[in-house]
Amino acid sequence: MKVNKNRNTNLKTGSRTIWITLLAFLVAPHIISTPLMTEIMIFGLFALGFNLLLGHTGILSFGHAAYFGVGCYGCGMAVRYFGVSVWTGLLVSLILGATLAAIIGALAIKKRGVYFAMISMAVAQMFYFLALSPLKKWTGGEDGLKFIPPLSLKIPFFVDLQSPIPLYYFVYFVVGISILIIWRILNSPFGHLLQAIRENETRTIASGYNVTMAKFFSLVFSGLFSALAGGLFFVYLGYGPLQTLFWLTSGTILLMTILGGMHTFIGPVVGVAAFLYLQNKFSWIMEQWELVVGILFMILILIFPAGIVGTIKSKYLARKTAAQEVEEAE
Amino acid sequence: MELTWNLIVTQILFGLALGAVYILMACGLTIIFGLLDVVNFAHGTFYMLGAFAAFVTISLFGNFWLGLAFSVIIVGLIGWITESYLIKPLYGKDPLYPLMLTFGFSVAVTDLMRAVFGTIGKIIPLPKIFAGSLMWEGIFIPRYRVFIIFLTLAVLIFLWYFLKKTNLGMIIRAATRDSLMVRTLGIDVPRIWTFGFALGVGLAGLAGGVNSTIVPALPDMGVEMTIECFVVVVIGGLGSLGGAILGGLIIGQVISFVSLLASDWSNVAIFLTMLCILLVRTRGLFGEAGRL
Repeated sequence: MKVNKNRNTNLKTGSRTIWITLLAFLVAPHIISTPLMTEIMIFGLFALGFNLLLGHTGILSFGHAAYFGVGCYGCGMAVRYFGVSVWTGLLVSLILGATLAAIIGALAIKKRGVYFAMISMAVAQMFYFLALSPLKKWTGGEDGLKFIPPLSLKIPFFVDLQSPIPLYYFVYFVVGISILIIWRILNSPFGHLLQAIRENETRTIASGYNVTMAKFFSLVFSGLFSALAGGLFFVYLGYGPLQTLFWLTSGTILLMTILGGMHTFIGPVVGVAAFLYLQNKFSWIMEQWELVVGILFMILILIFPAGIVGTIKSKYLARKTAAQEVEEAE
Repeated sequence: MELTWNLIVTQILFGLALGAVYILMACGLTIIFGLLDVVNFAHGTFYMLGAFAAFVTISLFGNFWLGLAFSVIIVGLIGWITESYLIKPLYGKDPLYPLMLTFGFSVAVTDLMRAVFGTIGKIIPLPKIFAGSLMWEGIFIPRYRVFIIFLTLAVLIFLWYFLKKTNLGMIIRAATRDSLMVRTLGIDVPRIWTFGFALGVGLAGLAGGVNSTIVPALPDMGVEMTIECFVVVVIGGLGSLGGAILGGLIIGQVISFVSLLASDWSNVAIFLTMLCILLVRTRGLFGEAGRL
């Protein structure tokens, strides 16, 4: 019971943190470097989408690079080969991400956690190899998807996506809406059902809910937002790197999510910000950046699994309940 | 290219040798999973460490057999230490934590090896007795590949004997079934787990050592091997040794034939095979119903 009580407070404080976060992102590019902030927002959306599955439903996917990469390449190829607008490109990302998630879900969502993680990782690797050699003609192979015309928006008004600040606010607009939608999903009855599955799957089944269906849609939403983030990443870079499909991308998003705190709403975004900031600051100096990443991974799992936001929150809550107890005693 | 019978038989033999390496890997993964309920995401990393252990030993002492032995011993020891200090603290917590931990381990160790050995592949010279090929009526196969097939066969027979006929093997099988019960009987199960982990990654180390005269040892080959190994295990059915062997045989043949007929697709083919098998039989060929 105590756990449930804490979770409720989590969601209520959630709405406040979201508005603070959105406000912070609004002014941030004028304080911190704009490209870094753009990247933080894109990967923040990716992490939120990923955490829909990991933190809120309790399913670990080791292949989210597939959704991110397919979103990135889907948007890129639509723009490059069919000359569609950026909006349509992002829509293509969304559709591809959701379809891919639906296919993987139909094949594997019923499986035990470990098995699902293995299958998702294998599928992601398949897309990596697909883009690397058999589809080289269209994907550009190792060099990534290149030779993209300069991107700009024409609807509703002209926005030049080549210059950083307009690009930033375009990404801000899309990510902001997505964050609100994700938050809405998690606060709906469906979102509560997902958390019930995470906490006690057997009991949720016994209460008469269709757990498989809920998991399936959790995966579809997760894939959809991850692919949208991939599409935005393409718009941000102006080309589609093969790296987006690489297994390390799946690992990095997992690390960032745990770093921030997977059982909180905004934690993943904090994790992304912390990770990308550190990477930006230190990866130039440290040649062995991946070694640092791997060690950080192990330390997090072993001693710090609640992540930054999770730890702060539990400290804060513990203090609050202690204060309450003192009050009640008096 | 015309497909003649000779070519097909040659390709089958090559596939068998390829599959043998996957069988060693997948058996190790299966033993670890059965015993500890942990899917070792660093399995390919131990394969890579095995290749480097063999490379270092052979360049120091010049003896191929010593190299093979050391690839098992060194990797087994690293596995023993890893399990004791990194995985043991996670038992009883979220079952997904060991996955994430072994993944972090693999990222860190890969980069560490990159710093030590660089990114140029290291290849072990072929020992003299295995130089050349066996030829028969237009079918040819390098002697070394035949050796890999027989080595794997020997290891499998040894494993079978060890698990079925020895006391320790019996304890391992019992602990796979019901570790709590075995514990009640006064057996130090955590030590059995550590041993099982060391044994499993030792097999991966052997696979790396034996394969490093064919495939150059590279720090980055680990994760790819992990994923391929997952495919083998998913095809065969997670948790079944028979499934691991069958999966290895299938994947060996698929790679062998697809790289002959459509080399661009050779990397993708094994994943497509996995998806097809999942479509027909979602728990893998030999998977127990209920367990997954």
